[in-house]
Amino acid sequence: MLEALHLYKRYVQGHWYSRNRFYVTALDNVSLNIGPRSTLALVGESGAGKSTLARCLSRLEEVDSGAIRLEGRNLLSLRSQELLAARRNIQLIFQDSAAAMNPRFSAAEIVEEPLLIQTRMTRRALRQQALALMEQVGISPQSERRPACEFSGGQRQRLAIARALILKPRVLILDEALSSLDSATQEQIMKLLLDLQVSLSLTYLFITHDLRLAAGMADHIAIMQAGRIIESGSISTVFLTAQHPYTRLLLATIPGIQTDPSTSIQREQ
Amino acid sequence: MPYLVRRVFSSLFLLFGVSLLTFVLVDFAPGEFFDEMRLNPQISVKTIAGLRSQYGLNLPLPVKYLHWLKSVAKGEGGFSFAYNSPAAPIIWQRAQNTLLLTGTATLFAWLIAIPFGIWSAARPGRAPALLAGGTISTLLAIPDLVLALLLLLLAVRSGYFPVGGVVGLDFSQLGPWSKFKDMARHLFLPSLCLTVGFLPMLLSHIRASMVEVLESPFIAAARAHGIPLRRLLLIHALPAAANPLISLFGFSLGILLSSSLVIEGIFGWPGLGQLLIEAILERDFYLVVDAAIFATVFLIAGNLLADTLLYALDPRIRAE
Amino acid sequence: MRIPTKPRLAIAALVVSHGLVLLAGFFAPYDPASQDRELPFAPPTRIHFIDGQKKLHFRPFVYQLRADLENDGGYYEDQSRTHPLYLFSSGHLFGTDPSAKVFLIGSDAYGRDQFSRLLYGGRISLFAGLLATAVSLSLGMILGGLAGFYGRWLDDLVMRTTEMFMALPWLYLLFAVRAFLPLHIAPNGIFLLLITVMGVIGWARPARLIRGVVLSAKERDYVLAARGFGASDIYLLRRHVLPQALSVAFAQAAVLVPTYVLAEVVLSFFGLGVSEPTPSWGNLLASLRQYNVLESYWWMFVPALALIPVFLAYYSLFSYYGYYSVGGTAATEFAAARMGPRTIS
Repeated sequence: MLEALHLYKRYVQGHWYSRNRFYVTALDNVSLNIGPRSTLALVGESGAGKSTLARCLSRLEEVDSGAIRLEGRNLLSLRSQELLAARRNIQLIFQDSAAAMNPRFSAAEIVEEPLLIQTRMTRRALRQQALALMEQVGISPQSERRPACEFSGGQRQRLAIARALILKPRVLILDEALSSLDSATQEQIMKLLLDLQVSLSLTYLFITHDLRLAAGMADHIAIMQAGRIIESGSISTVFLTAQHPYTRLLLATIPGIQTDPSTSIQREQ
Repeated sequence: MPYLVRRVFSSLFLLFGVSLLTFVLVDFAPGEFFDEMRLNPQISVKTIAGLRSQYGLNLPLPVKYLHWLKSVAKGEGGFSFAYNSPAAPIIWQRAQNTLLLTGTATLFAWLIAIPFGIWSAARPGRAPALLAGGTISTLLAIPDLVLALLLLLLAVRSGYFPVGGVVGLDFSQLGPWSKFKDMARHLFLPSLCLTVGFLPMLLSHIRASMVEVLESPFIAAARAHGIPLRRLLLIHALPAAANPLISLFGFSLGILLSSSLVIEGIFGWPGLGQLLIEAILERDFYLVVDAAIFATVFLIAGNLLADTLLYALDPRIRAE
Repeated sequence: MRIPTKPRLAIAALVVSHGLVLLAGFFAPYDPASQDRELPFAPPTRIHFIDGQKKLHFRPFVYQLRADLENDGGYYEDQSRTHPLYLFSSGHLFGTDPSAKVFLIGSDAYGRDQFSRLLYGGRISLFAGLLATAVSLSLGMILGGLAGFYGRWLDDLVMRTTEMFMALPWLYLLFAVRAFLPLHIAPNGIFLLLITVMGVIGWARPARLIRGVVLSAKERDYVLAARGFGASDIYLLRRHVLPQALSVAFAQAAVLVPTYVLAEVVLSFFGLGVSEPTPSWGNLLASLRQYNVLESYWWMFVPALALIPVFLAYYSLFSYYGYYSVGGTAATEFAAARMGPRTIS
């Protein structure tokens, strides 16, 4: 469904006129492949480049080289008109829901905004769609006019999901979408996401630093470190037979995971 | 070090730009000093033309500007037609009068504002804070023009405060103590007016800054250690609150020349502001330009001083 | 800090005062230029209900003032005739018959009604402030908005220029620029000129503030999210950035208007603004520069006192609207800005 091929991206730090500028490599030959209706978890610590990858895949930032293919079509070669249409297919959900929504907007306004930007539907039609989606994610349509700042964290994430879904995308990129929630709410949202994945045939790229969440949501996993993908495969393969020392280090932090007895690092149950 | 050097350079550049800007405006200005003369049929056109070329008024703009720059370097700063002498000495003399006025007012304003501000911050919600807040709000609502007029009325009614001039007519014949009294009586009302004008800004900044510092954790810790209030305020809190106050101080210095325009006009104080007004009415352009630029120099210098002080006193800025 | 309550009183006061001066033709009993050479510096007319014969009238009345020949410059009331006050007479709110005058706040050297002149003069002074503020804010919003949104060299350019404007002492600059314009200009011309000059000189501080707001709004995640939906720059500016900027702009307006009103008053006071015979609060006060007027005719002071409620009202407005957008106490900002449209740090 979604393929990234040999992506490179560098940042320049420092003013354009100062002497000590330096380059930071955010993405270093990154390649991934996510099959349709599946979930790939992308795991790594902060600064590994996960969010950069997420933004590049959704064309919010540009890569320096490489290709991004959605259902075979190369996204990077699209003109602006086609790009506009293509944006509907990949949507991004942010970690900090409060920052990702204009606090003055009401719930319904937030959800309908993508449609407002992309289509020329009437106000009523927009509102209808928004309300329908709100119901689907579990927000009561009564809160139509409540300003975004008055919702709880979990509710805001539901709104974010509704907003992302209103354009009927194929792929959802969840950039640490559960990380700022408490565990009970995490469970609820995770369940919602899994249900939606089935009912709407969605493909997920689930970015997180928490391996347990990754195990709960995904069937495939890729580990990222310093801008590189160091290991990838299905969850069971990677968890049980981790090759890279970094992966093993990550896995060792989770109590109750047993890796291959033939390797030297293992934890007792 | 390079930070300061950069600041000085940018200030000089700024000054240069400002002088150029004002000079361009002079050139575009309709009307000039000799317009009055033109109306007088007894003065021939040739005389006026001769005067104009003598003063270089018919030269193109860049040349005029260069001449003026040279003149500034010589210490003359162009020529005042009304006074028939170089402009700079006149400016300087008037500026001294202004500095006397504003310096006194600024000094008193700070002397009142610092203790009052600290005290009212230390006791929030009680009498001092309310008094301070009330004072600020009241004073903010009264424009300095109104206050000046009221005080002028007082001066005229009481007859005790002479108006017009820095000193009386018989100044030179007075003994030293009488001289001082004479000057003080002339100075009192205008500087009172200015002080009252400065107070709201100083007071509210000092109060706001102190309140913010007093609410911070390290003050709470110090208080828990049992440090007495006065020591707490002066030695612990005040230095931490100093940054915005230093900027404020630089600003106070910067406006020493320009803040008294209205007051001087009303009380007849022979300062730079009054000179500006006169020069405008006389169409004496070099005087106008010089006065404006001189006041700007002060403002830029004041800000520069504040930046320098901050740099020297606050290690956090040096670390940037 | 206490959260300020919506300043209803201040808004009402401002609406009323601006309405009064706009409709000066109705509220003022006399034409501002009409003179009465027999009544120079007449004190405010007393309104009576009981006449010399102790009779009560339902309709209030006034006596005609006559020059008191013994008391030089004084007046006595001619009680031989009562002149009733009429409401809604001949297109004015109140008035009396032509043989007497009702000077609510006295008359000036030419016998012109100060109350009427106050109202007509308020038009000039108050609206000069409002319009100049509109100019400054528009310039500030456009330039500051563009600088904040598009950044880089445009931002640098705008910021350097604002620094230059803010390095100049504002009032001095205003006076200096005024110097370079013709001394005597027709009333309409000087009004527009003052507005333009004040507005243009004062663009710098609003521009910096707006630029700051736009810059921070631009970096927000919700702007990024909207881009992800394909939003254009114009859409982002319109729906996400502008509303934030507006609240800052509004608070700025509450500070700028009184500053500009005062500037017009000061300029006219010194003869550099609106000149006779057109009234403005500034030139109404100019007569106070003569000591005999200052001492003897207290009613000439009233235009000065009229400024105080205007300032108070704008200060309340600023405290309220500025609370949400500007940091620090309102007094600090207001006081700093009163020194001219520039910042300290």
